[in-house]
Amino acid sequence: MENILSYIPLDISLIAENFDRFLYGVWTTLNLTVLALVFGGLLAIPMAIARASRHRVLSPLVWGYTYVLRGTPLLVQTYLIYYGLGQFEAVRQSWLWDPILSSAWWCALIAFTLNTSAYTAELLRGAIVDTPKGEVEAAIATGHSYGLRMRRIILPSAFRRAIPAYSNEVIFMLHGSVVASTITLQDILGVGRWLNGRYYLAYEGFITAAFLYFLIVFAITRVFRWIERRYLRHLTRRETTTATEMTPEPTR
Amino acid sequence: MTGISALKINDLHKSFGQHEVIKGVSMEANKGDVIAILGASGSGKSTFLRCINLLETPNSGDVFLAGEKIEMKQNRHGETVPANIRQVERMRARLAMVFQGFNLWSHMTVMENVLEGPVHVQKTPRAEAREKAEALLAKVGLSDRADYYPAHLSGGQQQRVAIARALAMDPDVMLFDEPTSALDPELVGEVLSVMRDLAEEGRTMLVVTHEMSFARDVSSKTVFLHKGEVCEEGPPAKLFSNPETEQFRAFLSRMN
Ligand SMILES: Nc1ncnc2c1ncn2[C@@H]1O[C@H](COP(=O)(O)OP(=O)(O)OP(=O)(O)O)[C@@H](O)[C@H]1O
Ligand SMILES: [Mg+2]
Repeated sequence: MENILSYIPLDISLIAENFDRFLYGVWTTLNLTVLALVFGGLLAIPMAIARASRHRVLSPLVWGYTYVLRGTPLLVQTYLIYYGLGQFEAVRQSWLWDPILSSAWWCALIAFTLNTSAYTAELLRGAIVDTPKGEVEAAIATGHSYGLRMRRIILPSAFRRAIPAYSNEVIFMLHGSVVASTITLQDILGVGRWLNGRYYLAYEGFITAAFLYFLIVFAITRVFRWIERRYLRHLTRRETTTATEMTPEPTR
Repeated sequence: MTGISALKINDLHKSFGQHEVIKGVSMEANKGDVIAILGASGSGKSTFLRCINLLETPNSGDVFLAGEKIEMKQNRHGETVPANIRQVERMRARLAMVFQGFNLWSHMTVMENVLEGPVHVQKTPRAEAREKAEALLAKVGLSDRADYYPAHLSGGQQQRVAIARALAMDPDVMLFDEPTSALDPELVGEVLSVMRDLAEEGRTMLVVTHEMSFARDVSSKTVFLHKGEVCEEGPPAKLFSNPETEQFRAFLSRMN
């Protein structure tokens, strides 16, 4: 074992020594990403509904919001919140400053949340407007009010159809979360950078970080594959053509 | 024949832009009537049916459901709109519709499709609704398909689910828009036979159809629409054996 390791041009022992730091980095990355996805997702739902509606004020308003947030890099958004807001005396004096806007973690969370909310809103809007027209008409004809058909028919159907695209958004958000390391946070990449800087290493920290991101993405894809199988079953065509031979789609 | 008026439509007009599609159609269905609506493609049959439950908003004309008028008003652009959307929703719940393309809710199982209206629109207790839904699925011959998703059923089965879904609302009037036109020929029979049973039970139905035999044998009254107007109407026996207008004669000869 020792001999094999000596052939790998990596300082494995240094990585192993600092492994708890990397675990802490994983924790920081995951909690920032997951919280941003949760809050961003919750923000995205009403925004998507507004965007899909023909409301004369709300729809263009949300369009502007998503246009700006999707049109600028996440790094710039994060800097604007972390470095930019602190320039204003009023912000530094306000109650928001002390626990929140002076903290890198909070600034990252806010930037990530806003950013993912914009992408998710657009993605959901697409799924909402793609709801089969006939299914919406069937709900109208049954006596569903706007709110009821949104809640019972349109959103449940749209959420399901949005799953594959949303899994990409989750991975993009995870990758985007490396921005946290540029504002002093010890996320996965932050730990990698620290390790390289501390021991004057070329790439041990980055290789480890890349490997950890890869593992997380792998887990995310697996989870989404399971979710798709469970919630997109209703969209898969039956395999046999005659009705009598049909059995419910097996869960593979 | 006098009876209790279930549905009455008075001088209905509908235009799409400059194009007037329904040019003053009136119709009355008494309880238990089955009215077959015939007409060439583009004559306005679907539009007429969709104006009744306000899937399309008519430009003018009145709809009465069991004597209650659906109130309309002019908005500030001079367009006709429902005066009270809650009333319209209440009326729609009593006017079930069966579509040419089935339009089942694809993310719900057969059972969930049938339960949706009673449970969430009519607020029927779930257990009670479920019992009724099971009976309805048995009636349309699909008890063993309750847990299937629509995509896993044949067209004929989907349409029978759609009929069960409509029946679950206990509607005063059922509107059918070419319920068998999207089906493979061998699947038409199973749907028509369910509809015949409904007619026999005394359901009030308006049926847009290209099935001449259904109109002739089942309807209590047949209406022939031509270019957005009632061209000919009456008891099917009389209409089919003795068509009066050139248009209806031509239509019949094309259909046979
Ligand atoms: N949403 C719409 N916008 C514009 N024109 C429409 C619309 N819906 C229907 N029309 C037009 O109205 C006319 C009547 O259409 P409708 O669908 O009511 O005919 P139909 O008798 O049901 O025909 P089919 O037998 O083909 O179903 C057609 O000329 C059609 O092009
Ligand atoms: Mg039609």
